[in-house]
Amino acid sequence: MVEQHHMRQFLLFVFTLLIPCFALWTVASGPLAIPAIGFVNTVLTHWFPAVVNTLYVDGNQALLMTEFGEQGGKLVPLAGAEYRLGFQVNTRILSYSLPFYTALHFATQKKDYFNSYVWGILILYPLFAFGLLCLCLKELMTGLGTHFLDQPGVFVPNANLIGILYQFSVLMVPTLGPAILWVWQSKDSPLLRMALGKADDS
Amino acid sequence: MARFVTLFVVTLLGLFTVEMLVPVQEHVIIPFTAMLARLSAALILPFDTSVIAYGKVLQFKDSGFAVSIEAGCNGVEATIVLIAAVIAFPASWKARISAISLGFLAIQVMNLARIISLFYLGDWNMQFFTWIHLYLWPALIMLDVLIVFIVYLRYLSNNEKPVQAASG
Repeated sequence: MVEQHHMRQFLLFVFTLLIPCFALWTVASGPLAIPAIGFVNTVLTHWFPAVVNTLYVDGNQALLMTEFGEQGGKLVPLAGAEYRLGFQVNTRILSYSLPFYTALHFATQKKDYFNSYVWGILILYPLFAFGLLCLCLKELMTGLGTHFLDQPGVFVPNANLIGILYQFSVLMVPTLGPAILWVWQSKDSPLLRMALGKADDS
Repeated sequence: MARFVTLFVVTLLGLFTVEMLVPVQEHVIIPFTAMLARLSAALILPFDTSVIAYGKVLQFKDSGFAVSIEAGCNGVEATIVLIAAVIAFPASWKARISAISLGFLAIQVMNLARIISLFYLGDWNMQFFTWIHLYLWPALIMLDVLIVFIVYLRYLSNNEKPVQAASG
């Protein structure tokens, strides 16, 4: 009965917290992404100076500007182009791991909420930044093709590797990251102790 | 714990890589996704005659709004996570296979609810559709996986003695 109580309490709290956490994140997702965008901008502009101009915040999204343009439907170097080519990058598709983790974390009965939450965010945020890097690499690969993949004298990851990293970062990490972190941090919670058949001494 | 983590990560990455292979996509994932679309249509059609279905597309006859069910919307990734967790945790193969089978069903029931709800939501408001499709439903599907795994752990702790020792 106690077991069912812990499970019911967790489900009630997690469903109650999901909507406000996601609503808050919707409002704050632009500013939340700024450090990750700044980091990825630094990496990309140093890694591919001949291809990437800048990555900057554009409302709730990011804009990845290249050193290429378009003329007559063809990709051309910027000097001969009518305008600079850029790609819109949806950072929310990665950062929703943060409200999901928040809801899981605060829905679970535990002794310490604040420290473990800060640690959780500090672990998830670099995963978000790495996912953003993979997302940008995929945009460059699909948008620029050989102009990106065949840069002389620059190491460019294999197209299949970029594809797999992109898929993993977008399809898996935003939900799996918080779930694994939650299991790890909640292993001593009454809910998981009961599930594992350990005596509940809390 | 180290054994669980290693087995989980290896199984997860292995299955995910296999899922991404072109022959697997062509012969397993795409036909399975199309089957999900047909199943969604079969569930909707008795209650709503304004809906038509062709291939992996569901469409409203009156508004013309349509959704195409693509890879990534089929619950396969969530199933891979569940399989990796179940295989990594010490238990009998009978318990593992039962957990994977029932877990797969639980995930797909949620996924059908997701497809049908998104279809109606998209016809009503595209902003809500995008928000719930891209952010909220993936979280709910992973929550479903977590709940299935916790229920499985509870079943094991009540029914399989070796797990008590292995989990300590």
